[in-house]
Amino acid sequence: STDSVIDTQKHDCDPAFVRLRNPCTDAASLYMLSSGDVELFEVKAFEEDFHSWFVGQTVQRDGRLLFVTPMDPLYLILPCLIKSGIEGKFQPVDQVVMDEEFPACSRLLSCSRSLASLHHVAEEKEVGTLKFHRYSQEKTMNWLKKKVERTVITLKKRNICVGQGVKSTTYVRVKPQSDYQEEDYLRYAHGLISEYISEDLSKALLRHLELPELTSPKETEPPSKKRKLSDKPVEAGEDYTKFNSADFVRKPSKKMTAAQKSLAKVDKTGMKPMSSFFSPKVKAEK
Amino acid sequence: MELGPFETDNAVNCRLTSQIPDVCQTEDCCLGIDEAGRGPVLGPMVYGICFCPISKKDKLKELKVADSKTLTETERENLFEKLDGAKSYIGWALQILSPNTISTSMLQRTKYNLNSLSHDTAIGLVQYALDRGVQLKEVFVDTVGPADRYEDKLSKLFPGIKVTVRPKADSLFPIVSAASICAKVARDCAVKGWNFAEDLGEVDTNYGSGYPNDPKTKAWLLKYLDPVFGYPQFVRFSWSTAQTLMDSKGVTVHW
Repeated sequence: STDSVIDTQKHDCDPAFVRLRNPCTDAASLYMLSSGDVELFEVKAFEEDFHSWFVGQTVQRDGRLLFVTPMDPLYLILPCLIKSGIEGKFQPVDQVVMDEEFPACSRLLSCSRSLASLHHVAEEKEVGTLKFHRYSQEKTMNWLKKKVERTVITLKKRNICVGQGVKSTTYVRVKPQSDYQEEDYLRYAHGLISEYISEDLSKALLRHLELPELTSPKETEPPSKKRKLSDKPVEAGEDYTKFNSADFVRKPSKKMTAAQKSLAKVDKTGMKPMSSFFSPKVKAEK
Repeated sequence: MELGPFETDNAVNCRLTSQIPDVCQTEDCCLGIDEAGRGPVLGPMVYGICFCPISKKDKLKELKVADSKTLTETERENLFEKLDGAKSYIGWALQILSPNTISTSMLQRTKYNLNSLSHDTAIGLVQYALDRGVQLKEVFVDTVGPADRYEDKLSKLFPGIKVTVRPKADSLFPIVSAASICAKVARDCAVKGWNFAEDLGEVDTNYGSGYPNDPKTKAWLLKYLDPVFGYPQFVRFSWSTAQTLMDSKGVTVHW
């Protein structure tokens, strides 16, 4: 329920923007935790050149539009699990989900979906009242595959243009969407999910989905139409030698166009030469 | 002169017309075209046509219409009253192009320059007269750009009408003088009664002639320059005078 983002009455703290490690880029990104850290939201910016806002009686220079949208915290927990999973030991999750660079990381475990969904990506062991977890690649792949499949359903519902050759999703094609292959949807959805996982996981997921890796665009291009040079002597199909005679000389036309005539009449004293307009200019501040 | 709808919204173009004299629908007519307010950085540009039966050309001379630039404002107004009073054989129509229209035309993504805008307005007014049944045989125009090419363009558009395009036509042909008076009176009237759509408080109307080289006009432009929005709609943004001031004193805007 998105209401809880702004509902501060239920909890004693306000929703807060936090910096966390982006699971795809490994760099810092902005996220939001709802009050009481119940829900995680990612913050995305719509940003294009030459936009600005009028807000009330003021002008906002950048035309950015920030979107705060719900996000599954498991995507952010996953890198921590993978890191500690190298040792192959079962560990208490609160010792695993931490990041010295981003201390807010541990708050992810407070999210209502976190603990309940750990079993999607990790094996669990209970000893008494204590729970221990160990990262499982196999489980993770199945979980990510489900994510891809759910994304495909949404793509179909929203009439998103997928498939090769589509440069922009907002570009509306006349072609009916039934022409798209299931593989096009899977690939597109895989691309979307890949924005939330590491490159290694993305490649593993591609194999898990049994999608072959695409060859680079250069190789799929049609063969060059440029004609190859041959070493055979060139034979003229027609006799061009007739143009070589002395009386066949192209004379430059002496007639001027109306525009040239009126230009010729202009008094050119004090005018800048054409070349002066091509000197480097100081670039305007953007 | 009553400017009618233009007074309520001066951001749009507006056409003002006289009644069409009956005689103009039965007898061969001549028509003159002229404009007022082409050069100023302030206010609208007005296009005017005046028409009358060819047989009444001498009567027009008796009214002593002359090139509007040689007349005082009062003389022009009196002459317009006379022209407007000669309802039995003289008709007129005006097209007011708001400064806003001029700015947005010239500055739009596909540029529409002032000459094209002028030509199209003139063409629109001739077509208006034709549509209202005026038996046009001769059209006289004060030129915009090269006269011969303009004449060609109009002749092709209106076959069967003898088109004469001349520089200074307003001092050569009384029917063009008449059109120039109508246009000039409307322009003066529009500027004088300008209703600023912007909330500027008590507006200083001491802007001089409105021509870019007038120091008073320049001072006024400097005074009413808003760093974010530029100018009130009274100003033609496409004029280099206005642009230069906005570039130097305003906030930089990238399009």
